[in-house]
Formats: sequence, structure tokens, C-alpha cells
Amino acid sequence: MTEESTPKVTKNSQVTIFLKHLHIDGQTLLLTGVFITLTLFFTFTVQKFFTPRSITSMAFQLPELGILSLAMMITILCGGINLSVNATSNLAAVVAGLFLTRMIPTEVDPNLLGWYVIGAFIIAILVGFLCGVLNGVMIGYIGVPPILATLATFTFFTGISTGLTKGVTVTGFPESVSIIGSKTIAGIPIPFIIFVVFTLLTYIILNGTPFGFKTRMIGTNPTAAEFSAVENRKVLLGVYVLSGILSAVTGILVMSRTMSAAYEYGTTTYVLLTILISVLAGVIPGFGKVIDIFIAVLILQVLSTGFHMLLTGVRGSSFFRDFAWGILLIIIFIVNYFVRGRTQND
Amino acid sequence: MSEPIIRVENISKRFGGVIALNEVSLSIFPGEICCLVGENGSGKSTLIKIISGVYAPDEGDIYLNNKLYKKLTPIDSIREGIQVIYQDFSLFPNLTVAENIAINHQLAHRKNLVNWQEVEKIAREGLQRINIELPLDELVENLSTADRQLIAIAKAILADARLIIMDEPTTALTQKEVIALFKVIIDLKERGISTLFVSHKLNEVREIAERTVIIRNGKKVLDQDARGIDIATMEYHMTGRRLDSSNIAFSPPGDMHTPLLKVENLSLRHGFVDVSFALRKNEVLGITGLLGSGRTELALALFGELPADSGRIFVQGKEVHINSIQQAVKNQIGYVPDDRIQQGLFLDQSINDNIIISVIDRLVTRIGLIKSKTKNEVSNQWIQRMAIKTPSGKLPVKTLSGGNQQRVVLAKWLATMPKILILNGPTVGVDVGSKAEIHELIRQLANEGIGIILISDDIPELFQTCHRILLMRTGRIVEEYQRNDIDEQELYQRLIFSENQAKAVSED
Amino acid sequence: MFGRFRVKKLIRSNEFVIFLILLFLSLTIGAINPAFFTISTLFDTLRSSIVFLILAYGLLPIVIAGGIDISFVAIAATTSYATHMFLLKQGYDGGILLYYLIAGGAGILAGLLNAFLVTQFKLPIFDVSLAMFTMWYGFNLFFVGATANFSLPKGTVGFYNIFVFTAQDPNMGETGLHITVLLALGLGLIIWWFLKYTTLGRGVYAIGGNREVAVRSGFNVRLIFFVIFGIMGLFSAIAGVTQAFLSRYFNPVIFITQPLDVLAAIILGGAAITGGSGSIIGTTLGVLVIQVINRALILTGIPVEWQRFVVGVILILFTSIPALRNLRAKRMGHTSQLTQSD
Repeated sequence: MTEESTPKVTKNSQVTIFLKHLHIDGQTLLLTGVFITLTLFFTFTVQKFFTPRSITSMAFQLPELGILSLAMMITILCGGINLSVNATSNLAAVVAGLFLTRMIPTEVDPNLLGWYVIGAFIIAILVGFLCGVLNGVMIGYIGVPPILATLATFTFFTGISTGLTKGVTVTGFPESVSIIGSKTIAGIPIPFIIFVVFTLLTYIILNGTPFGFKTRMIGTNPTAAEFSAVENRKVLLGVYVLSGILSAVTGILVMSRTMSAAYEYGTTTYVLLTILISVLAGVIPGFGKVIDIFIAVLILQVLSTGFHMLLTGVRGSSFFRDFAWGILLIIIFIVNYFVRGRTQND
Repeated sequence: MSEPIIRVENISKRFGGVIALNEVSLSIFPGEICCLVGENGSGKSTLIKIISGVYAPDEGDIYLNNKLYKKLTPIDSIREGIQVIYQDFSLFPNLTVAENIAINHQLAHRKNLVNWQEVEKIAREGLQRINIELPLDELVENLSTADRQLIAIAKAILADARLIIMDEPTTALTQKEVIALFKVIIDLKERGISTLFVSHKLNEVREIAERTVIIRNGKKVLDQDARGIDIATMEYHMTGRRLDSSNIAFSPPGDMHTPLLKVENLSLRHGFVDVSFALRKNEVLGITGLLGSGRTELALALFGELPADSGRIFVQGKEVHINSIQQAVKNQIGYVPDDRIQQGLFLDQSINDNIIISVIDRLVTRIGLIKSKTKNEVSNQWIQRMAIKTPSGKLPVKTLSGGNQQRVVLAKWLATMPKILILNGPTVGVDVGSKAEIHELIRQLANEGIGIILISDDIPELFQTCHRILLMRTGRIVEEYQRNDIDEQELYQRLIFSENQAKAVSED
Repeated sequence: MFGRFRVKKLIRSNEFVIFLILLFLSLTIGAINPAFFTISTLFDTLRSSIVFLILAYGLLPIVIAGGIDISFVAIAATTSYATHMFLLKQGYDGGILLYYLIAGGAGILAGLLNAFLVTQFKLPIFDVSLAMFTMWYGFNLFFVGATANFSLPKGTVGFYNIFVFTAQDPNMGETGLHITVLLALGLGLIIWWFLKYTTLGRGVYAIGGNREVAVRSGFNVRLIFFVIFGIMGLFSAIAGVTQAFLSRYFNPVIFITQPLDVLAAIILGGAAITGGSGSIIGTTLGVLVIQVINRALILTGIPVEWQRFVVGVILILFTSIPALRNLRAKRMGHTSQLTQSD
């Protein structure tokens, strides 16, 4: 094959190798291009789009979906899916919220209040952990197809939230709960900092540890992984536990921003959005990059805020975003098809 | 002579920059048994796909029954009486035997509706023509490989076939089943149906061919009467070089007192019974037997995938319990599976990652992060040592040839520094040139001190690599030979006729 | 002898297992609350199943072909709602048939668009359907309207009360089985016939079994995809319109939370998520089981807020038990499976 390569092809492959060194591939380039194009488009068409205020507001909004998308992505990477991410996040928030509203004695020392809040967040993470264990056991140890297992646990977790709250939104948290969701550090919203931290953590886990390595290998071929002495069951359990914990972090962000917890927050649409982001980022079993998820989340936010501002005063502008989002996705699929086709011919 | 069923003239086909076929011409006449021979990647499969209308050639003409086809589709090809039995048999696992057999008939006659009574009738007729009986409403996924092969043939004959193309039909068959297949082919010939037998197993080609066509690198290099072509000649034309396997140096195995591996009275329900043997340092121990003899189950038991029910295993004199693959690996046992694609490789992942997966846990820093530099060094080192032919270890493993893929699987296990290596059919689907190289490698590894268990029903392979050979039959080790005690022909006889004898014994 | 073989096969079939589950559920609920065994409960359960049956029948061929689609709910919502808003603007006063014709035509076109994208650009069915799901709901809500509409044309008002037959229920008085149950039945029969007796239908199973082999065998895979996506679009539109007239209003986001529930019913009915198997009878039973669970929970006295929890537990059991059985079977008869490639 190599003998027959024309000089042009060699030059192309040199570029490819250079980009590979930077860990940038076609998908990342394409997504970055789309992101820049959209940002430029809205900067020129909407007056107040590229201002500190709107950028800050975007940075407050996107972390919830962002972290939830990471929770979805890792399960797709190992050949599964997690339809219960949002239900997990709501359950974590509900349990933590009930702890805060029912377990704090009425005449509590104000100095201790902060510890109760931290305790509530730890409880939320614990709930995420347990949800992940249930998913992981069903999928890894019992062998239930991930889509069915997590559809069942989606109903189960939502059912617990509904039962515990009697379907009513939990409110009345101590004021300090809102710090995470509404304050900034050096002008950067805390949720965004948390998002970046968890993106980096996920990146390190997936690319720097044997666990992440095995996750990708199981996604590619579970049988071969088993025959290579990988303990598939343990790895799968780990993946779903991690997914559960990331979902719980999202739950904390949501309860902190809205100062409430409910069983029905973002039901269904949130799950589909996280799948959509993973699909846009080109995540398939065995392959997918955290950075692409990050950019895909940014794209969605720019699209959302951009159309919201562009269509101010027009009824239902957020719906136009959904419409545009679907079309953008199709366009990216088609571009990818032609890019793929061309590289195959080279 | 009568008109050829098929005549292709100066066919060329390119994939991107790669020339798969270069001005190949071929004619096949009624009732002829023609063998198409070539290494993997020589262009055999491309030629078949062009004849059957799956690919369109870039240049050249196709005549079917003397009619020129400008744009041949699979259905045209089927209507002209050409049937292909692909390596995977092209069956639908989720459909019944009857429907699988009758489906081509249905499509060829452009029927829009299904008459289930007719389907059953057609299927019964198809099975009758090759004289076999199978349950018509059983799903194909519940059948054995040999039965699937028969269904594929029944299906092909039914569609009023005039030429049946068999693409590597014997890969999944045991010797006994191969003999049965040859009988069917000769039967077909008597009824005027031609066979194009595509293979790289030269002893089979020599047995069945009337005419032999060899292609190499997309070019036809030989097309003549099969008589007078011996295996060495075929090998020469396939590879373009002379292979010499006559002077094999065997180093003596280590002493018997402290064997590397000792197995005592090992049993597994539905697998094998009361198996005992020992493997020495530097030794290559062959285990052979037919399908269902328990040979693969034995390997899987030693590797922890199917832990044995009873019996004892000793590694270097110490008793060990192998209940999982992890425990096997801890005891320095490696396993190269027979199903390379499913069990051995991650086709889409890089060569590097395929190699280091077995040792990834050892390549971490104290806080659990992968040492990426060491990781690359390890994989590069193995790519060099195993002479894997690739421009970069970052390429997906699927870009490699079968032989090089097998080296990747071997490298994966060698990286764990095993003392015992179990190889199950290590050269299945590997071309002739690489096969000899892998055999050389096996001997070399034994020389370095590894004990190797080689499971195979490829008799010449056993003789090229093994010091001792164990013969398994219905779950038991029934005979043991030193390499010099027996010749290939005799072992072959014992292997294939053992089943009837065993039956006779059990019926007593 | 032959007969006994058939019986054995029947007992081992997925449909029979799910039928037993349905029977078991009904008896348990009936034992807890005899009100379950009344004609009005039966009619209510059937009535609430109608639309889900139609959606599931439309989706089934795609699932058998190995695809997962979620856009069908968006197609149902958009075609029915847009048709209604269009006819309303025209001052349409006539009957219901025109609704089915316009929405059905639009549904077929929407389905064909999916098929075009899937076959032309070799895209995964699920990815395309995800994009279409978002796009169609967005389109509906932004361009057509975002609020429920209750003003039905005069000619359609009586449709709500057309019954196949009515019966006297001791507690509820007169109760009827709605005419659209026949529609669901008819559509089910069409799909049953299509899947069993047409070459295209067998092609659907063939694609699900092995797509590559289906191409090689000479099936027109592209045509098959266009047909099954067309069916999906048509059935979704019919379901959307039917739902609107059963509930007497048009809702632009109808079914938005339910695509996976329909899929789950099909899988519960014995279809493999990976394609290749599935039947109309199984799907029907799968939908009925879910409807019975939903309906029954109200009757069993479980507090409303804990009902979803109970459904969750039941789903976890339903999905785990077959998997556990497979796990056991794998351990027992492992050898034959593993060595088949030998």
C-alpha cells in the first residue's frame, strides 16, 4: 500500500500524524470549527451575545448538562448506555434535600449548619454510588442488556424519588446550599469550575489509568477482553458507579442552583440530550474523547443562548434551538460521512 | 468442448490506490472442479465477489453462459446459476433451516409472497439431494458448524446451480467433515454441476482439483491441469519463493522430574474425563483430536475460562487452583485462542493497545497512572521482536494480515513472560508463508524455555513443531506418540477413524 | 408425537412466557381487588392500549431489522398536531378520515426521510432518529404551535362515542369498547401478514439476523428500509390522530416521554434488542402487560406516589430473571457454546 502512495497522500498523512501528536483528530477539528462558526455568527447577529454578562450566564447554565453527558459518555464507551443518569441525579438531590429539610434540628448552632450542608452533598454522592452499584450489578454481573437494565432503574429511581417526596418539590434549604450554584471565584462561575474539574478527572481516568484503558477495550470486544484476563464484571461495575457519581454531582448542582429538588426535573429530555451530545461528539463503544464532549456541550449552549437572544420576543425561541440542533446533527453526520468516505479512498 | 458457464476477461479492480485484481481472465466449464488458490489478500475474494455481482470490476468483461453483463447484480448472477458459499456460509442464524434453504429460490423467482408449505417442500427436496436429514423448523443458530455447511450446500444446489463457488469451505471443518464435503463435490460433478473451490489449504487442493488456478498479488500466475502440480510448486507460485521446512532443528526438552505443568485426573462435565499429562520445559506438546474430543475444553480449563470439576493441576511442582483466567495468568499461563477475531483481538484498536492489554496493570506508577512512555516502549519492543510488519504501532490491528495479527496475539501473551503457552489452532486462517514463520517462532519460544501446548488437527503442523503428540477421543487422552514413533499418514488415519472405533467400543 | 413437539415448542416460546406473566398479573390483581375483573376495567385497559399498540406495531419491523428508533413519537406529535392546525385554519368541518389521510401521508414522508438518511449516508438508525426526535418536536413547537388545542371540527365530535359494542357494568353503568380497537387490530393483522407472508417481511428478519448476508442473498435492503420506515411514519401518524380524538384535544408534545416505554414493551414481548426476532403477538402481550400494571396499581391500593416505584421493581425483576436464566444456562452448558467455533 505504502509503495503506491502518491506524494500528495504522504503530505496529508504527515499532517495527520502531526495532529495525532496534539491528540486532535477530524472530529475535534470539525466540532471546534462548528463552535467557532456559531460563536462568530451570533457575535455578529446578536448585539449582546459576546459580552461578559452573557458568557457568564452561559457558564452557569452548561455544567449540569455537561457533567451528565460525561456520565452518559463513559457508559457508551464500554459498550452500554445509562438511561438512568437523570433519575439518579434527581434521586440524589431528593435524598440530600430531604436530609436538609427534615434532619436538621430546629435550634441548630449556625456554625454547624455548614457541616450539615456538606453532609447532604456527601449523602447525594453516596446515593449516586448506590444507584451505580445497582446498574453495574444488573449489567456486569447478571448480564441484563444495558438499555433494558437502565430503563428499569430509571423507573425505579424516579419511583423512589416520587414516593419519598409524595410528588412534591422539596424546598427550604439553608442559604449556604446555594453557594455552589450561584457564586463565582475570580469571576468564573463555580459550576463551571466544577465542570472543568470533572472533565479533567474523567479525562485522566479514561486516558491515564488501566481502568479507562480496559473500559475502551471492553467496549470494542468484550469477549477478547475476557480472554485477555480483564475482569469485565468489575470494570463494568466501576463504569456504572462512576456514571452514578457523576450524575449525583449534577444533582448537587441542580439543587444548589434551583434551591429545590424534584423527582421530575428534566425528565427524559435531559437523558436524550446527553445521548445527543455523545453522538455529536462521535462517542461509540471503544472510542470517544472527553474533549469532544466538552466542545459539544459548548456548542449546545451557544446554540441555545444564541437563538434565545436572536429570537427575543418570538414565541418559543427555545424550541427553535431544538429544531436547529436536530438539523445541525444531521449536517455533521453527513459531513462526517463524506470525510470518512474520502479518507477511505486515500 | 461445451460453452463455459462463466468467462471473465481481463478483469481489473482497484480499491483506492490498491490494485486488487490486475487483468485476470478465467473460464469455467460445466462439470469441472476448479481450484482457485492464493494467499490471503491475493485477490481471490475480490474475484469471487465480482463473479457473483457484489463488486463491479473497473475494467474487463464478464460473460455468464455466453451472455455479456455490463452491470452484474447478485440477483443476475444467481439467475445464471452461480451460487457462492461464503466462508461464513451466509446463513441467517435467526431463521429456520427450511427458510434458510428456500430463501434463494424465493428471491430468484421474484416471489413477493411466501407460501410456507412450498418453503418446506423445497427445503426437504434440498436436503434429500445431498442425502441428509435435519429438523426443518430448527433455528440455524442451534446447529453445529458442520450442519450449517450442509445447509449452505443444500441451499446452493437448489437454486438450479450450474456453478458452486466455495470460499474457504473447510476452515471450520474437521478432517472427517472435509472428506464428506469432497464426496458431495464429486457427486455434483457427476450431475454436471461445476465447483470453484477456493482455498489455501494445499493438501486439500491437491486431493480435489481437476484444474488449478493460482493468483498472486492480483495476477493470475498459473492455470493448468491439476495433475502434475505438487504442493511445493503450488507454494512457489503462491508465495513467489521457495519454502524449506525439511531441516527443522528440535532442541531436547527439559527433564521429566520437575515438569512445568502436571495435570492429574482432570475432569469437566460435558468436556473431558480423567485427563493426566505433564509438560516439560522447552517442550512443544501437541494435542489433537476431532471436534468434540474435548481438546478445546481442556485448553479452556487450564486457562481458567471453564474451570475443571475435579482433578489437580501442578505448576512447577506446586499445586495450583485455576478457577479464573486471572489465576491462570498469575500462574504464568497464556492462551492463544482458535477464534482470533472474536476472542483474541480488538480489531479496531491499535496494535500497541492489543499487545499491552495483558500487562497494563504492571505499567502503572504508584498512584495508579499508566506510564505512557514505558507503555510505548513495551509495545514497540514486541512489534520488533515479533517482526510485525506495520508502519506504525498506532494503526488498528485490522490493517494487518492474518499472520501478523496472530503475532500480535502471541506478543500479548509473551509480554506477560509466561512459562506455559497454550496455542489453539495457531495457524488457522494464516497464509502459507506466515504459517512457516509462526512454526519457526513456536520452536524458537520452546528453545527459550517456554513449555508449549499446541492444539491442532493440522497434522503436518503437529509434525513440524511438536516433540510429543497426545490424541484425544471423546474426552479422554487415548494415545501418546513421540514425534519419531509415527508418521503423518498413520496419525491421520488414527485421528479420523478413531471416532468409528470409539462408537463401536461404546456400543459393545 | 408431532403434536407433542409443537406443544413443547409453544411452551418454550417467548409469547407463552409473557402470556403467563399477563395471566399471573391479572389473577394477583384480581385477588387483591375483584373490581379488576369487571367489563369496564377490561374496556378501559383496552382503550388505553390502543394507541400504544399502534405505535408498537409501527416500530416492531424496525426493531426486528436491528434498529432502535425514537423519532416515531415526534412524527406522531408533529403530523397529528400540524394536520389539525392546518385544517382548523381552513375552517374544516368534516369528518375524521381527512385527518388520517393528511397526517398519514406526512408521516410516510417523515419516515422515508429517516430511511433516506440511514441508507444514503450509512448512518446508525438510532443516531438519525435522535436528531429527528429533537428536530420534529422543535419544529412542531416553534413553527406550528406550543399549546394544546381543544377545538375539534364538528364532523369529528361524535367519534368519541362510537363503540364496537357496549355492555352493562354493574358498578359503572353502560360502558363501551371504542371503535378504534378495531383499527389497532386491523393494523396489527397487516403487520403480522407483512412480516410472515411477504418476501419483504422475511427480508426484515433477514436483515436483523445478518445485514451483510441479506445484501449478498439478493434482498433489496434499501427498499426494505424505505418500506419499514414508511410503515413506522404512517402508523405513528395514525396513533397521533387517534390519541387526539380519544382524548378530545391535540397536544404538540404528545408521547414525548414515551418512546422508550414503547420500545420496552416490544422487548418485553420477546423481540431481541439486537434484532432478528420479535412477533406481533408478543408485542401485543408486551403492551398489555404494561397497561395492566399501570391500571392495576390504581386498583391494588398502593399509594399513588409509590406506584412508579412498584413498576420499577417489577421491571427490574422482569429484565433480570431471563438474564439470570441465561447466565445459569451458560454455566451449565457452556462447553457446547464455546466450542462451536472449534
